[in-house]
Amino acid sequence: MIRRFFDQSYLYHKGRRAAFEAEEFVLMQIGYPLLTLIFYCLIASYSFHTTNLTSWVIGNAFLLCTHACIFGLGNIFVGERYHGRLRSIIASPCAKLPLILASGIFPALFAVCASVCGFIVGAWVFGVDFSGVHLGFAALTILCAMASATCFGLFLSVFGLMSDSMHLVLNVVSYLMMIFTGAEFPLTQLPLSGRVIAQLMPLTKAIAAMNTLFGPEQGQFWTLLLAELATGAAYALLARAVFGFAERSARRNGRFDLF
Amino acid sequence: MSLAVLLSTMRVQMKQSFARSMFRFCLIANPILNTILLYEMYRSSGEENFMAYVVLGAGLMGLWSCICFSSAGDINRERYSGTLALIFAAPASFPAIILGKIIGNTLMSLLTLGISLVTAVVLYQIPLTLNSPLYFLLALAAAILTFVVISSVIACLLTLSRKTELYMNCIEIPIILLCGFVFPVSVLPGAVQVLSRALSPTYAVELLRMAVWGVEDPMMFWQKLGILLGITVLYAVLSALLYCKIDRRVRIAATLEVA
Repeated sequence: MIRRFFDQSYLYHKGRRAAFEAEEFVLMQIGYPLLTLIFYCLIASYSFHTTNLTSWVIGNAFLLCTHACIFGLGNIFVGERYHGRLRSIIASPCAKLPLILASGIFPALFAVCASVCGFIVGAWVFGVDFSGVHLGFAALTILCAMASATCFGLFLSVFGLMSDSMHLVLNVVSYLMMIFTGAEFPLTQLPLSGRVIAQLMPLTKAIAAMNTLFGPEQGQFWTLLLAELATGAAYALLARAVFGFAERSARRNGRFDLF
Repeated sequence: MSLAVLLSTMRVQMKQSFARSMFRFCLIANPILNTILLYEMYRSSGEENFMAYVVLGAGLMGLWSCICFSSAGDINRERYSGTLALIFAAPASFPAIILGKIIGNTLMSLLTLGISLVTAVVLYQIPLTLNSPLYFLLALAAAILTFVVISSVIACLLTLSRKTELYMNCIEIPIILLCGFVFPVSVLPGAVQVLSRALSPTYAVELLRMAVWGVEDPMMFWQKLGILLGITVLYAVLSALLYCKIDRRVRIAATLEVA
């Protein structure tokens, strides 16, 4: 069972990277996101007139997972439909949650790598000082954030069963994450409704938790981390529920796509 | 090069592009979301005229995204549809068809500037002024010309590759960053600025921004316009040479459809 889970996750990974050379794949998963981090940090340095870019490096390093978790995972069922495997998945008597989760393993690992690279490049290019930061807690925050973002990506992927416009959905979501997670500007700038939406987004609490590690007050750290994990768990359950609905509907109506 | 071919290709291309969800994202959602994001990042910057960095920046980012995800990707779409060899060998001439597609896309993409302006006015009622409208129109015409020529260079290069999706994803942010779409190029390190100065959109953006603020030194404006047109002519020559080389290569190797 466990072996099949990891075999399945490796097959998903192979399928995703098959068209690319190893260096191209790394460029796409890590190199390009790093450029994005540098780009948004440069805007912040110019618009906020600051040289202390710690909170932007933190926010954008977390957002680097978007490429792997949102775009990589969000298109899973679109890819399955394209390759003609969607019918087998829907008709198969196997449990669907492990199947969905298996596809998230490698994107989550790449997301962690991208995020760590983001912190390293951020420290190097923008002079972010990690000397007073508990590295174990920082690593734990990154892992929690990536797990949460992966669950969110899986939740989004299920909409690929119902929509043929996943490119539009995923790109809009990636911008919403920039606006509502506090990565690019303080959330206090948003109106109340915006701040409520921000709390429902993945990464918001992880970014706040990481920011507390760089500050003098760390009392909220564990609360924020648990809240981030709870957000991720909620998205995983939602993904399962929506998938169940899509599966039942597909079986009842004899349609493998809801749109 | 027949005008009828050019016009009919433009018309078909506009319809085809708008039917794709990714293009609709770039054309409509991207400028709206970028305007929101950039406004929130610039609202405390002390900037009094948000036209220069927020509206123009968001509009140009949308315009460039449309170019990346449409003009650059059209070759691959033709390949996927099995029509690439047909349009390549058609007596109507391949460059005319590609140019028609690029002009159609670029003209439709100009909508991003309008959408960005409307978003800023409706959502934020922010002060927007255009101090030199005639110079702005002139700069805009030059910018359109240079974007069309750049698109044709990229389209030529991507004719030879099956990894168009990777490359079109990887050219979006670097050009926005290097050409200073949302911050002045002077923010970049000196060595990187050399690269920026070799790219014609850098001058197009500077001209547009000069016109927004009001052209106080017309000599400087004309000088930058001259450089922009000079580089654009160089790109056009490069595009023509590339086309000749690629034409010869694909006819000898007969690998156009498999690249």
